[in-house]
Amino acid sequence: MNGAHWFAIVAAIAWSAWAAQWLRLHFERRQRRATAGTGRRFVRPPGTLIAIGILVFFVTVAVAAPLVTPYRPSRQLDIVRLQNAPPSWGHPLGTDLYSRDTWSRLAYGARVSLAVGLLATLLAATVGAAVGAAAGYFRRWTDAVLMRVVDVGLAIPRIFILLVAAALTAHLPLAALVLLLGLTSWFATSRLVRAEVLTLRERDFVASARALGGGDWRIIFRHVLPNVAAPLIVSLALGIGQVMLLEAALSFLGVGVQPPTPSWGNMIAEGRDQLATAPWTTLFPGLAIVLVVMALNTVGDTLRDALDPRAGAS
Amino acid sequence: MATWLLRRLAAALAIVFAVVTLGFLAIHLAPGTPFLPSDERTIDPGVLAALRSRFGVDQPLPVQYGRYLNALAHGDLGVSFSQRRPVAAALADAVPNTLLLAGTALAVDLLLGLALGTYQASHARRRMDTGIRAATLTLYSLPVFWLALVLLLVFGERLHWLPAGGMRDPVLSTAAPFAARLVDRLRHLVLPALTLGLVGAAGTARYQRAAMLEALNQEFVRAARAKGLSERRVVWVHALRNALLPAITMVGLALPFLLTGAVLVETVFAWPGMGKLTADAIAARDYPVVTATALLASILVVAGSTLADLLYAAADPRIRTRDA
Amino acid sequence: MRKAFLAVLGALWLAAAAPSSAGRERPLGDCTGDYCGTLVILGIGQPTSLLPPVTDGKLDSDIFDQIFLKLADIGPAGNTFGDSGFEPLLARRWRWVDPLTLVFSLDPRARWQDGHPVRATDVAFSFAVYTDSTVASPYRAALRHIVTVTARDSLTVAFRFRDRYPEMFYDAVYHMRILPQHILGETPRAQWVTAPFGRAPVGDGPYRFVAWTQGESLELEADSGFFLGRPHIRRLIWRFASDFSAAVTQLMAGEADALQVLLTPTNVARARADSLLAVYPYPGTVYTYLAFNLRANGDSTRAHPVFADPDVRRALILATDRVAMVQSVFAGTAKVPPAPMPQAWSWLWGPQLTVPPYDSAQARALLERRGWRDSGGDGIRGRNGQKLSFHLMVPVTSGSRRMYARLIQEQLRAVGVEVVIDEVDGGAFDERSRSGSFDTAIQSWAADPSPSSSVAQHWVRNGGSNYGHYANPAFDSLVERAVTAPDRAAAIAAWRRAFQTLNGDAPAIVLNAPDNVAALHRRFANVRIRPDAWAALIRTWRVAPDQLIDRDRAER
Repeated sequence: MNGAHWFAIVAAIAWSAWAAQWLRLHFERRQRRATAGTGRRFVRPPGTLIAIGILVFFVTVAVAAPLVTPYRPSRQLDIVRLQNAPPSWGHPLGTDLYSRDTWSRLAYGARVSLAVGLLATLLAATVGAAVGAAAGYFRRWTDAVLMRVVDVGLAIPRIFILLVAAALTAHLPLAALVLLLGLTSWFATSRLVRAEVLTLRERDFVASARALGGGDWRIIFRHVLPNVAAPLIVSLALGIGQVMLLEAALSFLGVGVQPPTPSWGNMIAEGRDQLATAPWTTLFPGLAIVLVVMALNTVGDTLRDALDPRAGAS
Repeated sequence: MATWLLRRLAAALAIVFAVVTLGFLAIHLAPGTPFLPSDERTIDPGVLAALRSRFGVDQPLPVQYGRYLNALAHGDLGVSFSQRRPVAAALADAVPNTLLLAGTALAVDLLLGLALGTYQASHARRRMDTGIRAATLTLYSLPVFWLALVLLLVFGERLHWLPAGGMRDPVLSTAAPFAARLVDRLRHLVLPALTLGLVGAAGTARYQRAAMLEALNQEFVRAARAKGLSERRVVWVHALRNALLPAITMVGLALPFLLTGAVLVETVFAWPGMGKLTADAIAARDYPVVTATALLASILVVAGSTLADLLYAAADPRIRTRDA
Repeated sequence: MRKAFLAVLGALWLAAAAPSSAGRERPLGDCTGDYCGTLVILGIGQPTSLLPPVTDGKLDSDIFDQIFLKLADIGPAGNTFGDSGFEPLLARRWRWVDPLTLVFSLDPRARWQDGHPVRATDVAFSFAVYTDSTVASPYRAALRHIVTVTARDSLTVAFRFRDRYPEMFYDAVYHMRILPQHILGETPRAQWVTAPFGRAPVGDGPYRFVAWTQGESLELEADSGFFLGRPHIRRLIWRFASDFSAAVTQLMAGEADALQVLLTPTNVARARADSLLAVYPYPGTVYTYLAFNLRANGDSTRAHPVFADPDVRRALILATDRVAMVQSVFAGTAKVPPAPMPQAWSWLWGPQLTVPPYDSAQARALLERRGWRDSGGDGIRGRNGQKLSFHLMVPVTSGSRRMYARLIQEQLRAVGVEVVIDEVDGGAFDERSRSGSFDTAIQSWAADPSPSSSVAQHWVRNGGSNYGHYANPAFDSLVERAVTAPDRAAAIAAWRRAFQTLNGDAPAIVLNAPDNVAALHRRFANVRIRPDAWAALIRTWRVAPDQLIDRDRAER
């Protein structure tokens, strides 16, 4: 861990702070323009600045992982002498059971955990929006059938589905994990979108678009969905956090991201047996998850207050 | 009302049937076979074949499915491969344990969450509110198994204040007087119920805060204040009653999860409930138990959401007039 | 109204949390003297059944061996050739009437726990059940050399064998636990697998069954009239933990007294540091090796493109520092055996069996000579367009095997070999092993005291667990010679030659043979642990009267 790495970390922190500040100002300017003259006071949950900063920091670390870490995440430094070494200057977060540097694994693990969370949630949002829009717009049989499918999906606890599905495949490649998480997370979103679409389709602009002879799906894409964007984005922000927690749970049960690829979840799982003697191996990835999910929840709350004026005072 | 109930019932049956079929297919198609030893022993192929034949696992899938449905229609849930006794007996042992844990966790969840949320709303945007918001946000974002591990380590192993897992002390449970045994049971209950309850309470508090704030903005609250009622009565009696609806729906929806899905907490604390039974059954490919759990889970979810709808309709007369 | 409702809810909850059975309203107990003591043992997982013929689970047999007796049991040295060292149990004495007939005289003092005396007909009945194909006992194959078991009179029973071999006595006594005919005689054989007797057994051993709370605990109580001596420890309670971490947590928290294996060096160190625990190392029965699949992954008709070449296999062995890995994973509580053998067979380890050295330079040279070169510059060797890359399969349930996988992956990367780790769920691991759908897999086995069955299973051509498809007729005939050798010395010599041949062919990288280190509360004295069945001698353990703790004094 030499000076270049420390410099890179400090640079990442500074950049995150600056980016958070910039984003907040930009956002506030937009909000001020949107609510100008309505007399509504724009309120923000506390800590949004820190939340954005945390997110930017972890994303930056994930993207620039080779710059901020001295070792490859799977490099076993000295399997006899450097096993479970406590934090020190050379290894700021200590080493784990296989004498791998925890900070390096955390940084590369950010790539996997964040990517899995983002991609799976995007997939879930897409499928959920499509299903919900179809059900809400076409109604009758389409609605009945689709909503029964959603009911079935919501009827089984997710961990159950995931355990069984993980058992179905001998070993889950990352793509399969993303698909699995995404395809089991869209049910609530579809309900949400359906509710929105049901109200929207009665509005004038939809009626006039239909009168003008537009195709159904075209109307859905161009007129209905953009208005659903607001709650969808909110559920996206909150959903990423849920998926990350789920990925951690799956890895804890042994069926998530496969080694040696690090993910925050499987780092916690591997460190579990050392919790009493080398707690840093479990504590730090756990802390990372908590921070990121907290940040995502805060940002989600902010977005909900900002984008959806009907959501109630915060 | 009657037609609504009948329609819901029909839909419920369809959902349960679909879930059971999916569960059946999924576990039977999973690679691996039941009856394998869990430690490093070999198994004689003749013995394996005999076991598979004895339990009907070597039949083609449609035959097994048909037999299963037939047995189910007669109320027979099958025999567990791992426990070598009827599945009903295995469930009968596990369900009360989960009910105890889930019930306690739900109580903690509701009491703490509702109280916190209401308190937050009545002190909105002041220091206590912000502090509690930060706390609930943290709890809500914790991986629940991580919290469980940490609590177990700190209170169970390091401080020895509470037992390190299990449901009761096997020695005390037969020898000690009633009071000591009760205390022992309660001591074993604290950590798992707290883990589940705290995380749930954080979520409930968030919802309750928003619902209470909305209730407090209503006309009738202003009227109550104008009438001279104390702030405490206004908040904790009148506004709360109106803000309870979301909490009620949440109970209906949360119950099935707590009953069947607390896999992580039950695993960490070695609590012999439904979640652990399910996870073990999936790992051991214990087909009858897995399908029975799927059946139970789906029944509970459907019942729970129907109950929630009924409660909602009973509580809010406005909803009753609008048919679902 | 609301308050009443809440009160009712509260009462219901209290009732649910409250213990169900009525206990006696007096203090925990006041047992004193030499026959008190409660031993709380941690068990990983659950027992399947306590009916001996239907299950060969280690946890199951730990428990039912307290309830049922064999005719005789092996001694602490673990000798399985002839009858030296065997301790009489149900059989008081025995003699060879002719080279193929063994006659036992039962001890007339032996009683079933319901009062009936143990008779020779029980022994004949047990043999009939153990060898019945409907019951499909895992022990059936071990008893195939015995033709008949007949009761000559109420206390004399004769075993007749098909042929002569060194382990006749061992086979006659070790596998069968004698069952009560007067209780089990009526149960249809097809229903033995799910018989309720398996959840509430009645035996003739030092302990009797008391209660079994599924998923939590199982209790046994000493039989004060046991004819071989009243057990000093009055109660045995097994506490079931779902996995190893949970078990260690409970042990360290003082909620249990005994754990059979501590597995990791961290746990051994913690146990040694704990003032209330004592550690007992004993030779382990487990051995682990990385098996090469000599046939193509998923297609046993073709040879494996990489592993068909014995020099490649030898190079891979040379490239792995097995001693360092053993030190890292087990920190001194395991050895690298000279062949795939556990420590319990150390009477077979001889000077002619040597551990291949660690020499990565020689490994590289060997690979180069066989044509595997790094041409692409990516650090991975290749030959004729085929990369020197393969999958390594391990089950998620085994922490040490997963560790080994990571260590091996790194060590082989250093010589230009790419290893992809597949961590699969237990069921999938087994299925893929059986069907040959793997390149390499780290296999771990618990061996019997006798090598005859294990070695045949794993390495003889078409052996039931020979997943890597190793086949060498010379090895097979050496094993045959060892199994039918006339005496102990000849048998040992033959086994050693067989293993030498095996090592020469390099079908696997032999990884470790761990010690077992058990942890026991300090107050237990006279602790004897037999490597093949650690709980076999519990009836001789005791707690000194001045060291009794609350748990020991408790009375039901």
